[in-house]
Amino acid sequence: MIGKRRPNTLVMLALAAASCAVTSSNPVWLDISILTGILSLISLSAGLSYGQAGILSMAQGVFAAIGAYASAIATTRFGLSPFAALVFALALPALMAWSVARAVTWMAPLATALATLALGTLVEIVARNWDDVTGGYIGISGVPPIPGFEKPVVFNILVWGFVCVAVLLYENLMDSAWGRALNIIRHDRTRAIADGVAVAPLLSAMLAFSAAMAGAGGWLYVHYITYMSPQSLDTQTSISVLLMAVVGGADFILGPVIGTLLLNMLGKLLPAQEAQGLFYGGALIVILLVARDGLLGRIGYLLSLLRRKEPAEPKPVPSAVTAPEVAP
Amino acid sequence: MKCFSRGMLVGAALLPLVMAFAPSRAIAQGGQPVKIGVVLSLSGPAAVFGLPERNAIMAIEKEIAAAGGVKGRKLELVFFDDKTNPTEAARGVTQLINDEKVVAIIGPGTGGTILAAGPIAERLKVPLLGPAGTVAVTAKTNSFAPWVFRVAINDMVGVQTLLQSAVKKGAKRIGIIYQEDAYGKFGAEYAQKLSAEHGFTVAETVSAAYTATDLTSQATRLRNANVDAVFIQMSISSLGAAFLKAANDVGLKVPFFANSGLAQKSFIDAAGSLGEGVHVLSIGNLPYDPTPAEQKLVALLRKNGNEPQGWGEIIGGNGLMTVVAALKAIDGPVTGEKMRDTIEGLCGFETYSMGKPCFSKDNHDGWGADALVVTTIRGGQFRSAP
Amino acid sequence: MIEYVIRGLINGAVYGILALPMSLLFATAGTVDFAIGAYALIAAAVATSVAGTLGLVAGVLSALLASAVMAGIFALLKRSGEEGIRVALASFGLSVAIASIVLLIWGTQPFVRPTFSRMLEIGGLRINPQGLINVAISVGLVALTYYLLRATSLGRMMRAAAANPVGAELAAIPVLGVQCGTILAGGLLGGLAGLLILHSAGLDFTASLSLTFIGFAAAIIFGIQTPLRSLFGGLAMGVVEALSAGFTSGMVTSMIPSAFMLVVLMTGLLGSNRFAGDRP
Repeated sequence: MIGKRRPNTLVMLALAAASCAVTSSNPVWLDISILTGILSLISLSAGLSYGQAGILSMAQGVFAAIGAYASAIATTRFGLSPFAALVFALALPALMAWSVARAVTWMAPLATALATLALGTLVEIVARNWDDVTGGYIGISGVPPIPGFEKPVVFNILVWGFVCVAVLLYENLMDSAWGRALNIIRHDRTRAIADGVAVAPLLSAMLAFSAAMAGAGGWLYVHYITYMSPQSLDTQTSISVLLMAVVGGADFILGPVIGTLLLNMLGKLLPAQEAQGLFYGGALIVILLVARDGLLGRIGYLLSLLRRKEPAEPKPVPSAVTAPEVAP
Repeated sequence: MKCFSRGMLVGAALLPLVMAFAPSRAIAQGGQPVKIGVVLSLSGPAAVFGLPERNAIMAIEKEIAAAGGVKGRKLELVFFDDKTNPTEAARGVTQLINDEKVVAIIGPGTGGTILAAGPIAERLKVPLLGPAGTVAVTAKTNSFAPWVFRVAINDMVGVQTLLQSAVKKGAKRIGIIYQEDAYGKFGAEYAQKLSAEHGFTVAETVSAAYTATDLTSQATRLRNANVDAVFIQMSISSLGAAFLKAANDVGLKVPFFANSGLAQKSFIDAAGSLGEGVHVLSIGNLPYDPTPAEQKLVALLRKNGNEPQGWGEIIGGNGLMTVVAALKAIDGPVTGEKMRDTIEGLCGFETYSMGKPCFSKDNHDGWGADALVVTTIRGGQFRSAP
Repeated sequence: MIEYVIRGLINGAVYGILALPMSLLFATAGTVDFAIGAYALIAAAVATSVAGTLGLVAGVLSALLASAVMAGIFALLKRSGEEGIRVALASFGLSVAIASIVLLIWGTQPFVRPTFSRMLEIGGLRINPQGLINVAISVGLVALTYYLLRATSLGRMMRAAAANPVGAELAAIPVLGVQCGTILAGGLLGGLAGLLILHSAGLDFTASLSLTFIGFAAAIIFGIQTPLRSLFGGLAMGVVEALSAGFTSGMVTSMIPSAFMLVVLMTGLLGSNRFAGDRP
């Protein structure tokens, strides 16, 4: 049932289950799997806002940081349980994203990109200087782990569970009238207005939703690492999750997850020396040049080539097979 | 690639020794090398210090390998780049302990990265030897305090030593310029705290972001406040040089006292003639006036094809020499817990640094003010003599 | 007060040079080149290694070379699609790669080359002659760009390509060539800015992205469309920075440029259609 209407969620479930099963025996793989899962969640949020709504948000890492700080402060200063703190970790980034998005009139793509970039910088500066609350540059240490999920094996399942839920919500959203409205906006704003879509409010809500998703990532992050500082999740993170989403294919629901897996692996293979940036930047350029729609786009393209070829071999006149695909 | 060639070199250096000693010692210890993790900031902003730290550690390790290891045990170093990023540092520490089974870790490279890695070290029971001055690193309130040692100098000691020397040279109204990060902000605040006790006033405090391309406004403000000395709390040499230049531009002509962050060759190069007469705090004086112990380190570095840069090598060396001293004191199999307990009892062991290192249960800051020297830039060099 | 404003203006002139190519490229190709700061970095790095005037030439040439790589990437990306954001991301990759190359070759040393030790005294104000040179070069470059755009056939082609790419193409204007040329101009201007910074405050391998952001911010403040405004944007950034450094402290100082940018965005000064993602 779910497989027919929610193929991405199904694939994600399989992927998550595989990841949990394969990594459970090895602590290092487990660690990589957990951090990859958290990054996937944040990069999924970047993919959602950029790939579907066309909002280039340069603050997803910072939204995650807000979620992380919210939970860290709630648990260490006010003794709340991490589960209660999750509410703040989701609500605070969403609220901030919503208000900034509403303030930036018309939600123009480049203007939004710059506004989120500026917002990110401001949040970082506040986090660095508000010693009493955020611990300043030193940050907050001793954040409690999530009760019941202290063991990395169990935490890993929690993380990938979050990713699966995020993918399910994402897919549901895209299957709804809102999702279709978003895609219209991305392709042609004027048309969307003509269709009666309230462009700016809808985009703002989208950004708020993706900020909450990033906040959840931050929540998982801070309760795993148990330490939070302004450097932990910053504009660097925002940019790299965006890269991951684009590399994987931001238009595709699972694109960001694939991109995160790939870039994380790539990061592992690189020599841990000064040349890191050269490889990383070079790889990014190559991927952008070779696979325009990201990796998933490329794979989709290759698959479509294969599909076209297969019937072509037995019969030289394949028009009957290809025609339905080509027809609008 | 680099790691590979390093392994080759060490291997080549070890081969004859192993053949010579193999029957007697290596076998007796089971032939298993002791693995030490090195998590340093080899890229990112702190790479300025991370790279010299790594160079020194590699040079000393070669020497140890050539001498047949420590008490017959071979050392094996496993490097990891924390990219000056807490997440990477935490990941590196997890990986080295779980995968490589290291028994101690030199690093991570900065205050923030050490604090991020602390809980992991505590959980997996392996001590960290942090080459950072950040005060909070060895704070007693940290749950992981027993597992973190400092092989650099506590920043509090550094600021105090430098300001004492400024007051001695007649400074009364001190202006402060700091870079906007943990290091800079702490120095500025601590100087304020020290003012009453040491008999000076802080007349003006200004700051500069990493990305600042122009510091003339800050210099103007210090000049307008009529300061008679400026305390520079920075670790980015381009920023320090930019400030000296700005001070010259606006006519701020007072003695400058820079904290150890600027004791870098690149600061002198960048400041040029403007650097002359600036007082800079340093941990030892490796490149210009090395003490006999430091000369040995210089020789090792040169043999390895590295020119000494500043104090990065010294604290990197401190880290490895602490490990060596602990290994010398340990009999039988080495574990992380044993390393921790032993390091806590180390006092007065051999290093390439000035001063007498001493760890204890209550004091995880191995080195004190006696490891510091206030140098003056003369003739494009840090000179130790007053 | 006046002293801070003057110092801010002098410093802002360099920002103007960084902003200029941003606005040119945005106008002609609708995209952003994140590597502008990297061009400045590579120019400064190369210029420190080669002595004398030759160093300056080598610096600018290396920046041009780097931007030629970017132009090549741009042309390849353009062949497969229209989206400007991919170009921006690729330029970001290039910027990271260039910074890494600089780190590999030159290490972490800062690049700075002081020129003047004697200051000028103007009305009781000590000013580094280099600052005046920066201002002169900046104003000269903007004036030259303005002249090129308004009074030459190249400028007409650029404006045509900016106003209506398809129409320009139909009118036999090599739009892609014009856009690549704009990227090369970005390399030239970025390189020059790098040399000016080399001779004034200096920079190191971490500077590339922050220089890009400064140029970006300066370019959008008064609208990204005309190059003349980018000069004023740079000057405004410089003045705001200098005043905030002069009168506020710590946290506030570092917040002001970003806050300034956010406010500008909120007031909707960027109302142009191109920005809004509207139909062309």
